[in-house]
Amino acid sequence: MYETIDALNETQHRALETLMTTMADDEFVIAERYIEWQVHAPSLESDLALANIAQDELGHARLWYDVLDDLGHTESALLYERDPADFRHSTLCELSFETGDWADAIVRSYLYDAAETIRLDALAESSYRPIASRVPKIAAEEAFHLDHAVAWLERLLEADDGRQRVQAAFDRLYPHALTLFEPAVPPRLGVHDDDLAAAAVEATIVDAGLRSASLDEMADEWRTTVHDTAEDLGLEVPTGATVPTMTGRNGEHVDDWFELYDDFTHTYRELGRTHTERIMPTPDDG
Amino acid sequence: MAEPTPDTEGPTLCPHTEYAPGEPHPELPLTGASAIGLEAEVWEALRAVEDPEMPVSIVDLGLIYGVDVGGGTARIDLTLTYSGCPARDFILQEVAWRIEQVDGIDEVDVNLVWYPPWTVTNVTDAGREALERFGLSVST
Repeated sequence: MYETIDALNETQHRALETLMTTMADDEFVIAERYIEWQVHAPSLESDLALANIAQDELGHARLWYDVLDDLGHTESALLYERDPADFRHSTLCELSFETGDWADAIVRSYLYDAAETIRLDALAESSYRPIASRVPKIAAEEAFHLDHAVAWLERLLEADDGRQRVQAAFDRLYPHALTLFEPAVPPRLGVHDDDLAAAAVEATIVDAGLRSASLDEMADEWRTTVHDTAEDLGLEVPTGATVPTMTGRNGEHVDDWFELYDDFTHTYRELGRTHTERIMPTPDDG
Repeated sequence: MAEPTPDTEGPTLCPHTEYAPGEPHPELPLTGASAIGLEAEVWEALRAVEDPEMPVSIVDLGLIYGVDVGGGTARIDLTLTYSGCPARDFILQEVAWRIEQVDGIDEVDVNLVWYPPWTVTNVTDAGREALERFGLSVST
């Protein structure tokens, strides 16, 4: 078990940075998208559920950003001063369908939370203590997210119109969900779309045991879970779905992301902030 | 992932973690009842910090996972009830500020930890009473 950042070598630092950036960015960006749906969800209860899920995901993003603090990155700088192309979240998280279909919001939540469960299992066995020690808290809070998504899927599938909408959302979003299991190009090096660099980092993540399962293994598990659920629900899994060229993980994002980035950094820029300040002792400083 | 099963004997233990001897917090909640001298004063300062949403001390909520005082430095390990706690910065800043006021403490190191995950089993009897007075019943 690696107890602290000093126990890791430089290559492992890069791998840790990449892994935590993908986790934190996924959680942060999907939270922002959940929040958009708070005013469009079909009932007050679902407004509340989405608000609550978003709050959970923002909390989890913070926990993962905190791990990056040991590499010298503050949460605030990571969010408000980072090049948007350096974010490494999956494209599934960034897609905007604010004025789209409720089925999109539910299907995205289902596909994401199914993956989240599998990822957290693999991170629970991480060789790096600051990762492993965070997982039980996060996992306990995640438990109801998947239940919420599945309950809504079942509800939507009761009527033909709902079934068509869910199937269409499933077909649209499934390829983007595959990007969750794509290797990430290490951030902050000004390199995008570099398959070799991404593969090398993924190999280090697995070899060092930062995550106990490889992306390929997790993808297989996810496919099995999603396909079984789809079969139970009478949904058709898109055949021959391929991973989009833009995976988010490779630093290539759809336009929706850059608009969202401009939105959430707007006030920060408007206030003329050019640097972030520490207003409190840093969590996890040892 | 299944929610960890609450264990009435103590904190929920991670099924994936090997517990080596010397695991820092085998017994929770910590209340500083046996602390003496400067350390007792640090505990007193911690006791004065309340949850911004409820009139109950963070000590009685069972948020404190470690207090280490030495050489003018106080190191506090503490957790929060919820990862998305909107009062995180308030609590951490108030902890640091109150302990800085203790004579003999020059430096405060507030360390946010998440393991073992907080559950209501962490709340002390005094905490339960305070919460009941506030109108919240805590049963485990």
